[in-house]
Order: sequence, then structure tokens, then C-alpha cells
Amino acid sequence: MTVDWIFEWLNGLFTTLSGNPFFLIIAILVPCLALFGFITVYAFVVIYMELKVSSFIQDKVGPMGQGVGLHAGKWGVLQPIADALKLLTKEDIIPESADKPLFIMAPFMIFIGAFIGFIALPFGEYIIITDLNIGIFYILAVGSFSVIALILAGWASNNKWSLYGGMRSAAQIVSYEIPAGLSIVVVIMLSSTLSMQGIVKYQEGGIFNWIIFTNPFAFVAFFIYFISAMAETNRTPFDIPEAESELVGGFHTEYSGMRFAFFFLSEYANMFVVSGVAATGFLGGWQSPIPGYFNTPLWGIFWMLSKTMFLVFMMIWMRWTFPRLRVDQLMNVCWKVLLPISLVNIFGVGIWTLVFG
Amino acid sequence: MGRNMGRYFKDIWETLTTLLTGMSITWLHMLRIKKDNVTLQYPEEKWPRPERNIGHDHSNYNVIRSRLHVDMDDCIGCLKCERACPVDCIKIDTVKVPERGKDIKEVGHVGITSNGTRKALVVTRFDIDMTECCYCNLCVYPCPEECIYMTGGPNAKKHPIDYEFSEHDRSELVYRFAKPGSKDGIERIMAEQEAES
Repeated sequence: MTVDWIFEWLNGLFTTLSGNPFFLIIAILVPCLALFGFITVYAFVVIYMELKVSSFIQDKVGPMGQGVGLHAGKWGVLQPIADALKLLTKEDIIPESADKPLFIMAPFMIFIGAFIGFIALPFGEYIIITDLNIGIFYILAVGSFSVIALILAGWASNNKWSLYGGMRSAAQIVSYEIPAGLSIVVVIMLSSTLSMQGIVKYQEGGIFNWIIFTNPFAFVAFFIYFISAMAETNRTPFDIPEAESELVGGFHTEYSGMRFAFFFLSEYANMFVVSGVAATGFLGGWQSPIPGYFNTPLWGIFWMLSKTMFLVFMMIWMRWTFPRLRVDQLMNVCWKVLLPISLVNIFGVGIWTLVFG
Repeated sequence: MGRNMGRYFKDIWETLTTLLTGMSITWLHMLRIKKDNVTLQYPEEKWPRPERNIGHDHSNYNVIRSRLHVDMDDCIGCLKCERACPVDCIKIDTVKVPERGKDIKEVGHVGITSNGTRKALVVTRFDIDMTECCYCNLCVYPCPEECIYMTGGPNAKKHPIDYEFSEHDRSELVYRFAKPGSKDGIERIMAEQEAES
């Protein structure tokens, strides 16, 4: 949507050159750069949040910027920037036995996988990069793109820990795609559209019209989606692909400096995408909870961001509360618990719609 | 079958409730961080010195290691302490004064010590490197003017105790006792006098 507008606006501005393919490139680059800036700022906020929340949970206060000279500002707010600078200035090591082209490609691929998911996330009635008519399907599809990059990283590192990490991540992400997808099917059944804007528009009219509160099966589906999404982002309690205590660093054992930073950044970007899908699909997206109030575009951004950030906060909270699942337990939870329940959910929603809808 | 299904749902229920218990515990800890905080913002805050019993009343007594101090107004620059130091942590430079026993106000030099000795030298550098000092006290005995001594220890007055002797920079651990600017000042004065004569 935004791309189309910028393209049309440029065409209108320079009528003699209208239809120039160069305009299309500009029209694509502008939202991309804006998005990249947004992800960077968001990553700083979330890294700070993670530092502070994890410390508070463990009865510490986290970075406080104490001491003299160069320090991390009041309450340590500059700590994420210091971390980023440290990662940028670190030595970039490529192991001698690594498969160099693949090794170099993996961090970029994982970042692309996280980055393109943002394209279909709606932040307001008109604030969306492209309102694809298969938006939610597209996000689910590109969400599993990261597994290729993880296997690539694990394989190219030529290290047993990395390979184990990559293999585990493949098993985990492929498994958890299924309950996540089946829970999204509930949303699609209720809203009868795949377009993200269509799903948000279906939930118009206050908090009780949000899909999560329309019926009990959707309520359960939300939690199943959220758990599966957390597993897809490889975060504790589902972080067996990196599992520090078992696999050193998992798929990113051999990565350092900037390349590691990309893995780090894409993990946080992925968190935002899956939380954004949960917020759009179940929590009403950019709709305000009170019908008829706070529905201007700016409030839309606020609602979308606050819902998403709340879910991101939930992920951080869970990460610092729960211990990691074993591999067999992980598979157990997915195939024996989440999958049957999400299948029952689909039937339940169908019957519910038939009876009450 | 029936029992297995029952266990299946019971397991799910147990999982959910125990997970929620864990999350509520971490949530409460998160809210009570101001009260529960166990860490110390070190350079700004320090742990209080633990109470201890040394066998007698020490309410007016510093139970702490002392460190060297030099009273520069009394120092005659005889280098006896430098020679006595077993680890060579004292460094002294001196410049001969034009007239013995006269004050030189520009560099803060006092001509006559409290023992009545007329000084022949201006001490332009008196550094004690506390990273090397072994607190052996051997430099204190040879001093003819009794101007180098341990301070802050049991014989000093009761004071709020700095028990760490720590600094932000290692160079700050070299204690410089010579009056600041005395080296440049005395050189300038000597040069002026030479020019006059």
C-alpha cells in the first residue's frame, strides 16, 4: 500500500517521467529503510527491556551506568548502544574449515527472513507496507524461512555443536509450524479472509469483538499460537537450538562480531513479527479496545505497538521464568498436546460458528 | 484408555498451574525489586565494614591497616627513607636552595622544620607507589625529622574508614606528597637568580 502511494506520488510529482522504473525502486527503498530504522530502534528498546526485566526477576537492578568516565547513562539506558558498538568493533572470525560462502550468507538470510515478515504487518488503517490478500499466510510462510538460515549456519560452521543446533532448530521449527498454522486457521475461519487488514477490520468495535474473546476455542488458540510462536523464535524455554549449557552456542557457536549481531537482531525482529501476528490475529491489531474512541491513525500505531510490545514482554518474562525443555519433551508438547488441541479447536470453532454465529 | 485420558488432561492442568505459579513468583520479584534488590552499585555504595571483636573495646580505635603519610613541611630531603625501603617504592628528587633555612613562598617551601633544622634542599618530588608498598614501616625509623609515618591506623584518631585504598585509575595509587608546582617553581627561581648574578 505504502509502496503504491509513494510510486503514484512520485509519478504525479514528475509527470514527464511517469512510469519510470527508477521510481519503483525508490518507492520500495523508502519503506525498507524506514523499516530497518524501526527494527534497529525497536531492538535497542527490547534489549534494554530484556536486560532490565531479567535483572529484576533475579533480584538485581541490571545496568545502572555507575562509575566514572565513560558509562552507560542514567539507569544504564545506553547499555544496548554500548553492546551494539562492542559487537560491531569485535574481530570477525571465519573458521578455516568453514564453508565460507554459506557461512557468510547465513546471518543475512536469517535477517531477511525476519525482515520480510514486517511487510504485511498493519500499524493502522493506511499504515501498512503492502496489504497482501494472503497476508497472514505470507507471514507464516516467510516465518519458517529462518530454518534454512539456521541449518545453513549450523552446517557451514563445520562444528559439531553448530550442526546439532541447526538440526534441532529444523526439527523444532518444522514441528511448531503446525500448531501455529492450525491456530491461525481459527482466525481465518472466523474472519473468512487471509488479508491482515481484513482480519483487523473483522475485529472492529471494542475489546469484546477481538477474536480472542469471541469464543472459548479462539481463546485457547491464542495461547497455542503464542507458545508455538515462541518456539519458532528459538527463545527459552524452547531454545534447544542454541542451548548454552549443552551446545555451547548452538548454530551461532562460530559466529562473532557483526555476524553474531545479525543473529541477535533477527531473533528480536522475529519476536516482533510473531507477536505482531498474534496481536493482529487475536487482539484486534490497531483497533482500540473502546469502540468509537482513540481510533485515529496515530492511536492505531499506539495500540498496535502496545499490544505487540506487551506480547514481547510476555516472551521475555517467560524466558526468565521457565527452564529449557529437553528435546523429547519439546516434541511431546508439540505433537501430543498442542497439535490435538489445535485440531479440536478448529472443529470447536466450526461448530460454534454454526450454532451461535 | 479412560485412565490414560484422565492422566493426559491432568498433566496438562498440572503443567498450566505450575507454569502460572512460576510466572507469579517472578512477577512478584519484578514488582518488589526496590525492596529485594541484593546488588550494590559499587563505586557509589559500599558494604559496611563488618563488626569484629579484637579482644578489647575499639570504639575509639581504628582496626585497620594504616598507610604512609609524609609531612612535607618537615621533610629535609635526606633520602634515608628511600634507601631504607626494601621494595624501592619511594622516589625523591631534591634541588639545593640558594640560602639555607629561608622560606620560599612561591613554591610553598618552609625553611625551618618543627625540630629547628634549617633545610638545605627543596623536595621537588616525593612519590610513594602504594601498589609496591609492603607496609613494612622500615622507612619510618630512619627519618631524622619524624616526618614520614603511618597514618589512619590504630594510633590515629577514630575516623570513617577507607579500608580499600582503591582508586579509579592505577596512576592515582602513586601518592605524590611534594608540593604541586614546586619543581617548575624552584627551577624558575634558580634561573632568575643566575641571570641576576
